[in-house]
Amino acid sequence: MAYSSKVLSHYTNPRNVGSFAKDEAGVGTGIVGAPECGDVMKLQLKIRDDGVIEDARFKTFGCGSAIASSSYVTELVKGKKIEEALAIKNSLIVQELSLPPVKIHCSVLAEDAIKAAIADWQKRKGEKSADKKEQAA
Amino acid sequence: MCARCGGPLAPELDLFAALGLARRLVVEPTELERRYHDLGRRIHPDRFASSSAAVKEASLQGTALLTRAYRVLRDPMSRGLYWLELHGEKLADNNKQVPAELAALVFEVQEQLAELREAQDRSASEPLAEAIRAWRAEVQAAMEQAREELGANFASWDEGRAEAANLLPNLKATLAKIAYLRTLLRDIDRELEPPVLSG
Repeated sequence: MAYSSKVLSHYTNPRNVGSFAKDEAGVGTGIVGAPECGDVMKLQLKIRDDGVIEDARFKTFGCGSAIASSSYVTELVKGKKIEEALAIKNSLIVQELSLPPVKIHCSVLAEDAIKAAIADWQKRKGEKSADKKEQAA
Repeated sequence: MCARCGGPLAPELDLFAALGLARRLVVEPTELERRYHDLGRRIHPDRFASSSAAVKEASLQGTALLTRAYRVLRDPMSRGLYWLELHGEKLADNNKQVPAELAALVFEVQEQLAELREAQDRSASEPLAEAIRAWRAEVQAAMEQAREELGANFASWDEGRAEAANLLPNLKATLAKIAYLRTLLRDIDRELEPPVLSG
């Protein structure tokens, strides 16, 4: 299959590959899978208390489009507020990377990974403030 | 084929019916083989060489349907996927969660595979390859367990407990698990030398 040059660029030179420690403060981890092809994606976001995404890391073991989609979203979400990041639609990723129809599920995976990472961050934040309240009581 | 006239049927049947099977998920492999070969012989295009064009066409289409039914139903994974289709469900819908334990396994093994891939000197990386072979056994065991879960899920459907036992989401989760493990096994085997066949 012919990949677009942007996909190739993100695939051969993926941005922000790696991980943060899962329990590091402000880190939300989203692990999602695409059961159609068996690819698994991990996206981590480092989010400030005011809800701005400071940094992002990903690890994706899968096809070129899945890697490119995750690499692309790590660049896209940096500096965004979580509300803005949550509003990112997979269609934007499809368009930007010119993904062919059979690879659309890769972009859906990236969108779902953002949502899962933010949900994890919110959950951990909630737990932390609950702990504080308990300690205060 | 048609039970009344013995002629081949139009292809708008479900795949179980195409093989004369009840819509049940537990399929006896020998029974499936037997029906496939038996029906295949009976509606074989060679038998209708001197029939009308419509009958010839029906024989061809019926044979194609029969083959598709056999291929889809033979493998438990594809049979499960077809079952989802019959229920108007898609595997990926609402099914992106990867169980934590499985995700940990996938990332651990994939990291080691990446390390092996980048190793310049294959002979020096033999210990790593050995470790990956050990992981492969673990992944294979997880696969066997997932296949057993799938078998149990199939049996429960056939017992008519779909609603009570949450079988549809369970089926989707189990099929997804098999898909992740299958991809992982494929990636492992790509990296390790192909196993030498003995005897």
